[in-house]
Amino acid sequence: MDADKPAASEPGTAPTPSHQKVWDIPTRLFHWSLVICIGLSWWSVENKRMDIHYWSGLVALGLLVFRIYWGFAGPETVRFARFIKGPREVVRYLRRLFRTGYRASFGHNPLGALSVIALLLAVAIQVGLGLFASDTSYVSSGPLSHLVDYEASEDITDLHEDFFNVLMFVIGLHLAAIVFYLAVKRINLVWPMVTGSRSAENAEGPPAGIAPISLLRLCIGIVLAAGAVWLIAR
Amino acid sequence: MKTILFAAAAATALALAACGGGEPAKPAEPTPAADATPAAPEPVAAAPTGPAAMPEPTDVAAFMKARHENYEMLGANMKVLQDNFRAETPDMAAATAAAANVKLFADAMGAWFPAGTGPDSGIESEAKANIWTDRATFDAAAVKLQEESAKLAAATDAAAFKAQFPATGGTCKNCHDTFREEKKDQ
Repeated sequence: MDADKPAASEPGTAPTPSHQKVWDIPTRLFHWSLVICIGLSWWSVENKRMDIHYWSGLVALGLLVFRIYWGFAGPETVRFARFIKGPREVVRYLRRLFRTGYRASFGHNPLGALSVIALLLAVAIQVGLGLFASDTSYVSSGPLSHLVDYEASEDITDLHEDFFNVLMFVIGLHLAAIVFYLAVKRINLVWPMVTGSRSAENAEGPPAGIAPISLLRLCIGIVLAAGAVWLIAR
Repeated sequence: MKTILFAAAAATALALAACGGGEPAKPAEPTPAADATPAAPEPVAAAPTGPAAMPEPTDVAAFMKARHENYEMLGANMKVLQDNFRAETPDMAAATAAAANVKLFADAMGAWFPAGTGPDSGIESEAKANIWTDRATFDAAAVKLQEESAKLAAATDAAAFKAQFPATGGTCKNCHDTFREEKKDQ
């Protein structure tokens, strides 16, 4: 799509990379795995497969643990300290959004950062409630439901059902934002989450994008996530 | 390396905090009297009982409410069983008592669905109409629970109890899947 790009660069200057790497493989795998887990969790409840629901929820918990860890140990675009900005930055971003010369953010934009936090928090609350919830047939109750009494577990089960609507609302906002960027700003946010890269044109951040990830750090994250799931499910 | 370890610790702490988010606020405990021993044992939650006697079905609403409450109590017994099923060393006294209760529910519930106490009553209920249209299957499901809970109540050691619990819970699920409609706020 940009084969003519290198030809356009001035002779003597280093050619600008046409693609900017924004999302590492673990982050993309996390994202799409979580999408599958949420979908499977919904499907399994609708089809009375609480055995599947039990595990899709636990896998979602493992994914969350990994993502939180990755927010400290992963590449710069996924680090909480880098992408979470204060309200002033959010307002500044909103002003910039409709001005000419707008350039896409490197990774999450200051407003999108709030959406990331809301999504992670909503999934964490939903999974947290599920840990203590009861299955009506007492076959696949939440793995920590034995820590609370019958009444409490029933109440938590109701909250778990109700909170699904909150989760859907937050996911709805996320999807609406994607549609907005695609329709109004002509920026496809989904494709970079699949391939890891976006067009380097009109983008902030280093043209080449993120540096390769550390395999050691990745392994620590996987052990942490699997360990958390094992601790709860055993 | 230090940063990674810190991040790992932070992630674990956050994950645990997220898990803790599901716990409800504890009800306020009565203030202990000044002379009360600080190490007084917490009152043990009352063990769930067998089914309460059902009223005459002449008052349909009262009948359906009593039926619902009996199923709640059955659920409380099932929770005791599941908690012990998951425990490394089950409390067999509690488990056998709960299993005996479940057997009592199984024996009684066949009489809890007289005509007019289903969706046609106009009262919100999770009981589906097919309980009355496919009575033979429904009754067979109740008999299955009688059989499986009798086996569970007969289990005297932890191994036998753990081996029999899934089959008992499975009969609950088997019937719920066909004859129970999930409704909100029950």
